[in-house]
Amino acid sequence: MKEFIRPTLVLLIICVIAGAILSLVYKQTAPLIAENKLKTEEAARRLVLPDAQFFKPISDSSTVLFYEGYSTDSTLVGYVFSCVQYGYSNDVKTIVGLTPELMISAITVVSQAETPGLGANSTKPDFTAQFSGKNPDNIYVDKDGGDIQSLTGATITSRAVTNAIRETFQKLRDRL
Amino acid sequence: MKAIQEFTKGIIKENPVFVMALGLCPTLAVSTSIQNAIGMGAAATFVLVCSNIMISLLKNLIPSKVRIPCFILVIASFVTIVDMAMEAYVPPLHKSLGIFIPLIVVNCIILGRAEAFASKNGVFKSMLDGLGMGLGFMLAIMVIATIREILGVGTILDIRILPASYKPMIVAILPPGAFITIGLLMGLLNIIQNKKKSKAN
Amino acid sequence: MDFSTLFIIIIGSIFINNFVIARFLGLCPYIGVSKKMDSALGMGMAVIFVMTMASTITWLIYTFFLNKATSIFGIDLTFLRTIAFILSIAVLVQFVEMVIKKAAPELYKALGIYLPLITTNCAVLGVSLLNINENYNFIESIVNGAAAGVGFTLVLVLMAGIRERLEYSKVPNSMKGMPISFIVAGCMALAFLGFSGMKF
Repeated sequence: MKEFIRPTLVLLIICVIAGAILSLVYKQTAPLIAENKLKTEEAARRLVLPDAQFFKPISDSSTVLFYEGYSTDSTLVGYVFSCVQYGYSNDVKTIVGLTPELMISAITVVSQAETPGLGANSTKPDFTAQFSGKNPDNIYVDKDGGDIQSLTGATITSRAVTNAIRETFQKLRDRL
Repeated sequence: MKAIQEFTKGIIKENPVFVMALGLCPTLAVSTSIQNAIGMGAAATFVLVCSNIMISLLKNLIPSKVRIPCFILVIASFVTIVDMAMEAYVPPLHKSLGIFIPLIVVNCIILGRAEAFASKNGVFKSMLDGLGMGLGFMLAIMVIATIREILGVGTILDIRILPASYKPMIVAILPPGAFITIGLLMGLLNIIQNKKKSKAN
Repeated sequence: MDFSTLFIIIIGSIFINNFVIARFLGLCPYIGVSKKMDSALGMGMAVIFVMTMASTITWLIYTFFLNKATSIFGIDLTFLRTIAFILSIAVLVQFVEMVIKKAAPELYKALGIYLPLITTNCAVLGVSLLNINENYNFIESIVNGAAAGVGFTLVLVLMAGIRERLEYSKVPNSMKGMPISFIVAGCMALAFLGFSGMKF
């Protein structure tokens, strides 16, 4: 029995000390981490709707459906919503800005895990810039008869982005 | 061994990746860009040095029966600290490295050095050993990452160095590229070693 | 029970996102144990068992102790997951070691040092963390753990088969051993790339 006491005690002491130190570090970093998360989300919204100064979330019970963007004098400058669809390897998440007339102001792809050099180029302006000014109700990739130029060798990724925007817009249209 | 040799042995002679074949998982996974390589190398070196020092300090207090769980506890604590710090201060790097940050705790290099060196040597030497091994690890990933990034994307640290007309060899940044690169590099090292041996004879 | 999701998880973890060849988890034993078919198969079985049990235990620990929303403590302890997971895996492997020593001593001898080394197998901790990241529920986590283990075993056995043949091939001196094994792994990775983009 005795030979178990010392090892167990040592393990326990190390556990407690480790736990204490980690809790301290956690207290220091957790607020920073939460703040970073909010900052990146806010930055993405600003990117697609540059004229907006602040955003008002419109929610439905527990989830945020979209944001209304207002300028400093409280005029509505547009809307921002996020959409996600499974591309080639994983989900592709896009943030879309809309003008008050419900045309796309800009989009930005915020998260993807597609093939580097092919689908991963969906984050580049060469691809995303073409969405500005288009009607989100009627966008399709060229392979489906629309006017969105797909990325070379990445039709599935391009289609995921395009269809996600169109489908989510059609779902939200009545609330906008 | 002279103190300075404790540091330098980890870089070439006993390089953890190319010579001892330890820490292969993060090496191949993270070598898609030189930036990730440096980030991972720095994080792993920090954990390695801290845990080596801590284990060397505690080596007389830890009973042999439970030494592996104790080592794991110490290493995991430092890994958690690094994980939280990176998420707070360098979020993009934290996102690129993903689950390989917590996986530093099962990096055979760190547990290996704790068992083979830090539990049997003084604090200063353990620190040097940790620094050397960590640096060797970082250099190994950087070599592989340089090859993969140049061939696969045409950039170094996101600065384009190959002409735009170069059609990148995408397979280099995909998994097969990692395996083939490290296989060829190890073969190259063997050629160099064999040449040295035959010269000595 | 949503069988289609489970099916996708299984195919995903065995072929599309194979843990060794695509995710780079579990490489050390992959290179170390894949020299002979028998030891490869034995190691694979042990890993499947450990990964399944580890997925179960770590999911339970995360849900009931660490995750603020569901834990019995009600505070956010997610930052303790690395420590909690690796310690439970270490205990689990000790336990498996004792069982194998009693129940199958020949297997115990054949696996040698590689059995306790399953603790440091990135794939075991990796699958536990991935289950949490992907927000899998209890059944999905267990299935993912098992499937990941099967994927590992598959690639291990394939590699062992190839390496046994390689013994009789003319390999240049400097490439013998690890270098050629990595090249073979690269070819396998190329082949498995063909699975990505599979849609259901």
